[in-house]
Amino acid sequence: MTLSKFVTTTTWLVRDTFRQSLASGLCWLLLGLSTICILVCCSAGANGHRSLILPGEHNGNFLPRFDREAHDAQKLKQSGTIVADGTLSLAFGAIRVPLARDAREAVHFVQLVLSAGVADTLGLLLTLVWTAGFLPGFLDRRAIAVLLAKPIPRGALLMGKYIGVLAFVLVQASYFVVGTWLALALRTGIWDASYLLSVPLLLLHFAIFFSVSLLLAVCTRSTVVSVFGSIAFWGICWAINYGRHSVMAAAAIAPEGSISPGLLRLANFGYWLFPKPVDLGRFVFDTLGAESSFRPLFQHLPSVSMGLSIFTSLLFTGYVLFAASRYLRRVEY
Amino acid sequence: MPIITPPAVVEFQSVSKVYRLGFLGRQRICALRDVTLAVPRGSVFGVVGPNRAGKTTLVKALLSICRPTAGTILRLGRSAQDRSTLDRVGYLHESQAFPRYLTATALLQYYGALSFVPAGELARRIPRRLEQVGLADRAREPIATFSKGMVQRLALAQAMVNDPELLVLDEPTEGMDLVARKLLHDVVRRHKAEGKTTILVSHSLSDVEQLCDRVAVLRGGRVAFSGALSELIAGATADDSAAALQDALEPMYAGAST
Repeated sequence: MTLSKFVTTTTWLVRDTFRQSLASGLCWLLLGLSTICILVCCSAGANGHRSLILPGEHNGNFLPRFDREAHDAQKLKQSGTIVADGTLSLAFGAIRVPLARDAREAVHFVQLVLSAGVADTLGLLLTLVWTAGFLPGFLDRRAIAVLLAKPIPRGALLMGKYIGVLAFVLVQASYFVVGTWLALALRTGIWDASYLLSVPLLLLHFAIFFSVSLLLAVCTRSTVVSVFGSIAFWGICWAINYGRHSVMAAAAIAPEGSISPGLLRLANFGYWLFPKPVDLGRFVFDTLGAESSFRPLFQHLPSVSMGLSIFTSLLFTGYVLFAASRYLRRVEY
Repeated sequence: MPIITPPAVVEFQSVSKVYRLGFLGRQRICALRDVTLAVPRGSVFGVVGPNRAGKTTLVKALLSICRPTAGTILRLGRSAQDRSTLDRVGYLHESQAFPRYLTATALLQYYGALSFVPAGELARRIPRRLEQVGLADRAREPIATFSKGMVQRLALAQAMVNDPELLVLDEPTEGMDLVARKLLHDVVRRHKAEGKTTILVSHSLSDVEQLCDRVAVLRGGRVAFSGALSELIAGATADDSAAALQDALEPMYAGAST
């Protein structure tokens, strides 16, 4: 198959995926949920002009406003300590949340919650569930028979549909991230472009776990198996990833020999073999500069090579896609 | 004067197909047994036989939807493994499950594009095809609103959208009323008049009698008869294999009379 024919095939399968999502209502559902988040951001505001770190200063003394000493103006002036005075407001000021941050940090905090909490966890799982039905419908024995009689290799059909679903998720993720970014920026005047990096990161995370959904769909042609299988797999990977880091952290502080080498080897084997959702979440935080807001979340975990972690996750994805294509080539319809 | 046989568009050479079912594929079903057939260019070739005779498996093997266990299949002069020839083949599946969210025009655009028909050519061809199957006035309506017969007519237009050299119709009259059946007959006759080949798999002996000039009768995965329709009609009682042929055709006549 030539490249131009592959592009033609993929283009039409992408188009078909969008039509499928429109017909099933999934597209509108996701756009609706994103719009609610954008509207919440439109109602948000942030104020507070004191930076946590003064210009030229790397470790400025900082006190939250509720600290007793924060009210001792004389002492504060003598020591040069600053008190955070940020406030996050929602529903056009109806709800006010005092924050131990300045306005920029408050907006950044909201962006991190939206990116890592809403989109990369809740959004990812919901999208995995809702898109899991795309493939079994496409691979239905009667539906695919006509496509299999077209001059397109089966692997190309599968990859076209996979790319179609990724394109759909890219559009949805872009709408969510750009929409909330614009809303927050217009309301607060703080234009933090690093938040836009969430889009490729969300797509990367989804692409890795959707490949498993695709393999299950090819093998079983069952939406139920695809949905629960991919979610269960995500959970298992999360447990393996977090478990390995915990074992490694424990091994670093425990007396030598108290943790079995067999357990360490097993934890490392599972870690390097499977995708790493904890590392991917950590990568999102690192990329978005979440150090000041979410340090406690990861500080107990050992440091990892992000590049290697993502590379091995992608390697797993590549193998799963290859296995799915191979299975589809051999399956009898 | 010697009879000149036109070159074959499709050839089955000792083709067998065994499906493995059940746990670890321990259950075996032999769908085709040593099938040898040739479909001449420009003919309308009927494939008939009772249920589970292997008709659909024969079509699927021809279109690379399933792989034969043994034997060789040549499609348009090349091995059936070579998918590139499929852009000159049109296929109407025995039961339709088209995406219900597409309109008739969008469906033909989709399947036409996946047969690599250029966009401009497709734009010219689609209204013509819809006209041929009597759906020109429903071009912009979603398939979800179509009756079974209309979907079957649309499936025929889909099979014709790439202007195929070889048209494979698997039970095309299923769900069609008399008007639609006449439309189908017209399409097949026009296709033949253009010197192109049609393989018609059917339960309906009347369709086969009206349209086909050559016929293969399958029973239990074997070819019980293969030849001109006139030979089938004339020789059904005289030939040595008459009993086997009668066995193959009897259930179909029984079905037709009910």
